[in-house]
Amino acid sequence: MGIINWARSRSPWIVHLCTGACNGCDIEILAALTPRYDLERFGVLLKGSPRHADIFIVTGPITRQMKDRVVRIYEQIPDPKFVVAVGTCTMSGGAFRGCYNVYEGLDAVIPVDAYVAGCPVKPEAIIQAVAALVKKIRSG
Amino acid sequence: MSSFTIPIGPQHPALPEPILLKLEVEGEYVVGVDVDISYMHRGIEKAMEYRNYIQNIYLAERICGICNVAHTVCYTLNVEKLYDKEIPPRAQYLRVIIEELNRIHSHLLWLGVAGHEIGFETLFMYVWRDRERVMDLIETITGNRVNTAYTTIGGVRRDITSDIEYKIRKTMDIVEERTKYYKSVAAAEPTIIARTKDIGILKTIDAINLCAVGPLLRASNVKNDVRADAPYAAHDEVPFNVITYPYCDVFSRILVRVDEIFECINMIRYCLDHLPKGPIRIKLPLKPPKGEAVTRVEAPRGELLHYVLSDGSEKPYRYKVRTPTLANIPSLCRMLTSSGDYIVKIADVPIAYASIDPCLCCTGRVQIVDIEKNKKWIWSWEELKEYSKKEFKKS
Amino acid sequence: MNDEEILNKLREVFKEKIIESSIPRKNIVNIVVPKEFYKEVIKFIVENFNIPHIQTITGIDMGNEIQIIAHLGRSITINVRTYIDKNNPQIDTITDIIPGASFYEREVYDLLGVNFIGHPNLKRVILPENWPKGVYPLRKEYKPEHPKPLRGV
Repeated sequence: MGIINWARSRSPWIVHLCTGACNGCDIEILAALTPRYDLERFGVLLKGSPRHADIFIVTGPITRQMKDRVVRIYEQIPDPKFVVAVGTCTMSGGAFRGCYNVYEGLDAVIPVDAYVAGCPVKPEAIIQAVAALVKKIRSG
Repeated sequence: MSSFTIPIGPQHPALPEPILLKLEVEGEYVVGVDVDISYMHRGIEKAMEYRNYIQNIYLAERICGICNVAHTVCYTLNVEKLYDKEIPPRAQYLRVIIEELNRIHSHLLWLGVAGHEIGFETLFMYVWRDRERVMDLIETITGNRVNTAYTTIGGVRRDITSDIEYKIRKTMDIVEERTKYYKSVAAAEPTIIARTKDIGILKTIDAINLCAVGPLLRASNVKNDVRADAPYAAHDEVPFNVITYPYCDVFSRILVRVDEIFECINMIRYCLDHLPKGPIRIKLPLKPPKGEAVTRVEAPRGELLHYVLSDGSEKPYRYKVRTPTLANIPSLCRMLTSSGDYIVKIADVPIAYASIDPCLCCTGRVQIVDIEKNKKWIWSWEELKEYSKKEFKKS
Repeated sequence: MNDEEILNKLREVFKEKIIESSIPRKNIVNIVVPKEFYKEVIKFIVENFNIPHIQTITGIDMGNEIQIIAHLGRSITINVRTYIDKNNPQIDTITDIIPGASFYEREVYDLLGVNFIGHPNLKRVILPENWPKGVYPLRKEYKPEHPKPLRGV
C-alpha cells in the first residue's frame, strides 16, 4: 500500500469550515470529537490551518461572500485531499434553497468525495463517513 | 503614534461562524474595532415572505441551531397573537420545560468553548460529556437532538409521559451535581481567574447606553431579564431569580451563566410539579386575520425579537427577526477599545470576543497592516490564540 | 408608569402632532407621527420615561411609501411609527440620542435603501461586498431568483 498511504489512513487530520450554516451541523461535528462518540480514536485531529490537513469538512449553504474563501482554502490544502460535504445544506441548499444570497450546493464550487445527509447530521453518521473515507484511502 | 489595522477573518476550530473583526492597533494595544458580519447573511426575511406560516416554523428554527427552541417559541407565540385565542396551559408549561432545557445545553456548550479559548481542553471535554445527557433528554422528549420543531401554531406536538418525567428528574439531579463541581472549578482555579479577571470590561453605564442584552448586561450589574420584565408562556407563574454580578468582566459572565443553569433546573422541577392537565394543542386556521404583532423572548444569549405583519393571506407580508448578538455588537466594539486607563491587548481579544457568546461563526483570519512600514501579514485564529497563550505565560 | 399613563402624557404634550395612537394589547403603546417630529418624540420618551433601551428599528415596504417603526422600552413597549416617501427615502438619525441604534439603522439602509441623515458610519453591513449598488432586496419589486450553479446542467 505504501508507507505514506498507511500513515495517512491511520491518522487523517481534518480542517473544518462553516459557510453560513445555522450551527446545528457544526456542534454535532464538535460533539463527535468529545468522549461519548470519540472520533479521536481513529487518529483524527481537528487542526486550525489548512496546510496541516488531509480532509476538508464543509457545512452550511455557501453564501456569496464565502464562495471565494472556500475555493482559496481548498487550494491551500496539500494533495491528496478529500472533501466531505456535511448536512443537507451543502448538498442542495437545504432549507435555504431559493434564498437570494445562497448557492445551490457545494459541488457547484469544489469537487466532493463524500456526502453525509441530515438536518442536522447525527454524530454517528459523521463517524460512519470518516470510517468509509479511511477505508477508501487504505485501498489506494 | 502609528496605528495598524488587523482584520480577523475565517477559520476557527472551536466555534465556526465567519466574522471579520478589523482591529486598529498601536503597538500592543487595541484602539479601534470594526465588525463585518456579511458572511452569514442568507436572506431569510425575504424567504419567509414566500412560504406559508407552517413552513416558516422550520425556516425560523434554522436561523440558529444552538438556540433553535427560542426561535420556534418566539415565532409561534407571535403568530398566535394574530389569532387572539387562548392556548392550553399544559402546552405553555411544556414550552417552558423545553426552553429551559435548551438554555442548559447552550450554557454548558459555552462553558466548554470558553475553556477551549483559554487553553483549558480538559474542561471542554468534561463539560461536553455531561452535556450529552441533556441532549439525550431532548431527544427522548422531542425526537431529535437539534432543530426539534417541538412547538407548533396552537400548542406543542408531543406530550410527556410519566416515565419521561422520571428521566427528566433523574437527569436534573446529575446535571446539578456536575454543575456545582464546575462552579467550584471556575471560581477557584487560578488559571481561569488570571485569564479572565479584569479582561473585557464593560461598565454599567456603557451597557445601558449601547443597549446590551442578556447575560452580558446582567454581568454588568443591571437587573434585566425578559422573563421577569415582560413574561410570556407561563413565565408569570413560574418563580425564578434574576442573576446579576457586579464585576463587569469575563469572570463575571462565567459566573452569571453557571448560576443561570441552577435557576433553569429549579424552574424545570417546578413545572413538573405543577403541570396542569388538559389538551396540548388546538387547531387554528391556516390564514390568520389582518394585523401585526411583536414578541420578545429570552434566548440563551439575550433578548430575541420577532415582528410580523399579516395581510390576511397564508404568507406573511413582512417578518422581521432581531437576534441578540446583533444587539451586543456595539458593546463588543466598546469592550475591545482602549481608552484612558483601560488597556486592551491583542492577546485578550479571543477570550473577550468569546465571552459575549457570539452566535456568529468566528472564522478568523487576522491580517496585520503596518501603516508606517507599509507591510501586511496574515495570522490565522490559531496563531492569534497561540500568541495570546505565550503572552500569558510570559506575565 | 403604566401604559395608559404613558399614552395620556404623550397625547397631552404633543397634541395634534400625533396622527393616531392606541393600545392594542396590554403593555404595548402604538403612536404614529409625521417624519418631522419622529426624532423629537423619541427624545422626549428617552428623557422623560427613563427608557434608554431600543429593541430594534423595522422598515417595511408598503408599496408607495416605506414605514419605519422604532421599538423602544424594556417592560412596556412603545412603537413609534412614521412614513417616508419611497422615491426619496430620508430620515433623521437617532444615534445621538441612543448610541445603540447604529447597527439597526445600517441594516435598514442596506436592505431598503433609506438614508439616515447624520449617521456617523452609514455603510454596508450585511450584504456581500460584490452585491450591486442600488438593488435593495427587501423592497417588493425585487424577486429572488435561483442563483445559477457554476457547473452547466
